[in-house]
Amino acid sequence: MNCHEAMALLPCFSDAELDALQSAEVEKHLLGCAPCSAQRDALATLRLRIRDEAPYYSAPATLHERIRATIARASQATGAAVRRPRERWRWLSAGALAGSAVTVFAWFLGSAVFDWRVANDLDTEAAANHTRATLSQRLTDVVSSDRHTVKPWLSSRLDYSPPVQDFAADGLPLVGGRLDSLAGQTIATLVYRYREHTIDVFVRPLGPGAAASPPTLTTQRGFNIAHAKGAGMEWWGVSDVSADVLLPLVARLAHGE
Amino acid sequence: MMFAMRAPSPAALSRFEQLVLPQLDAAYNLARWLTRNASDAEDVVQDACERALKYVGGFHGGEAKAWFLTIVRHAAYDWVGRNRPAELIDDGADALERAADTVQPTPEQAALRQASGTALFEAIAALPLGYREVLILRELEEMSYRDIARVVDIPIGTVMSRLARARALLQRSPLLVAIRERSGEA
Repeated sequence: MNCHEAMALLPCFSDAELDALQSAEVEKHLLGCAPCSAQRDALATLRLRIRDEAPYYSAPATLHERIRATIARASQATGAAVRRPRERWRWLSAGALAGSAVTVFAWFLGSAVFDWRVANDLDTEAAANHTRATLSQRLTDVVSSDRHTVKPWLSSRLDYSPPVQDFAADGLPLVGGRLDSLAGQTIATLVYRYREHTIDVFVRPLGPGAAASPPTLTTQRGFNIAHAKGAGMEWWGVSDVSADVLLPLVARLAHGE
Repeated sequence: MMFAMRAPSPAALSRFEQLVLPQLDAAYNLARWLTRNASDAEDVVQDACERALKYVGGFHGGEAKAWFLTIVRHAAYDWVGRNRPAELIDDGADALERAADTVQPTPEQAALRQASGTALFEAIAALPLGYREVLILRELEEMSYRDIARVVDIPIGTVMSRLARARALLQRSPLLVAIRERSGEA
């Protein structure tokens, strides 16, 4: 870039109206050219002096008042022309009411969808825990059919103590316990046997005031999942046994008998 | 004039409050520099607000400041046309040269003006209307060439050439040169 070109671009340069490429070229020229950088400095000085010495006139209070009065007059004319004030209020309150109704409905819908998604995620995670344990042959961390052995083993490793029952008399012996994780939380797993099938029951404490609910069945990748709330706990039974074995088991655990 | 105005819709009123009220300072500053008088500037802005109320329904996004300043400028030009029609005709490159010549102070006057800090102010106020408005929009409102072109309704190239001439004039204004020489000695 020569001096002629640089001088022509200098005003745009100092007004920050050049693109990055042109700007860089002008800057490069300025580094090695005294007359052009003197002109750049002169423009900068002039700008500073204008901003120092030429007053910026802000709108005085009297003008603000005048404009506010103009708006007030116009809105009066508008109110008279469009609608009587009382009628406007009626529409306004009807609108507000409809608006709140829509908000409440949306909130219900939103939380219902959220609950359903969370429940779905937990079922998936429970099924994955069961699959992992079965495949790795790590079915139990503590092997015992004695619930008085399993319960203390679990409660010494958790911040809660899950109720542990044995149903050997009904062909559902307790074979042990395990620690798993569900929703980022370490939880107790009770392991039962029904013929050749393994049944994992995941247990975590319910929040205070949460209502009990009877078992519901879902299916994930061929496994049945029975979910129930009761006895202060939330229960997920996961197995490949049929629903008429799994549901009564989870129901009995949640019933706390 | 107010009572002849058709009542604006409630939507227009709320848009007006949203778009125009934040620009009152910019509007008054431009009107004040174009009319060079405080109470005339207020009248011009009031007139511009009434026009904006009428047209705000037709404003579909874009730069609200440029939109409103265009209206302010029209109102100001109407005011100048009614009160100082000579300024509208006297708006060429010759006028620029003559404007430079009229500010030919003695060294004593220059010293006085420098002391009161009014030298540059007077030089800008003496610029022909077309140059003054471009300079004010650029240096005091810090608007882009594109927005200035929209407000003044001239091509961007004309914005650039008017800015360049206005600045060159201020830089070699005898008043300022006299001051620069004095401060150089000191």
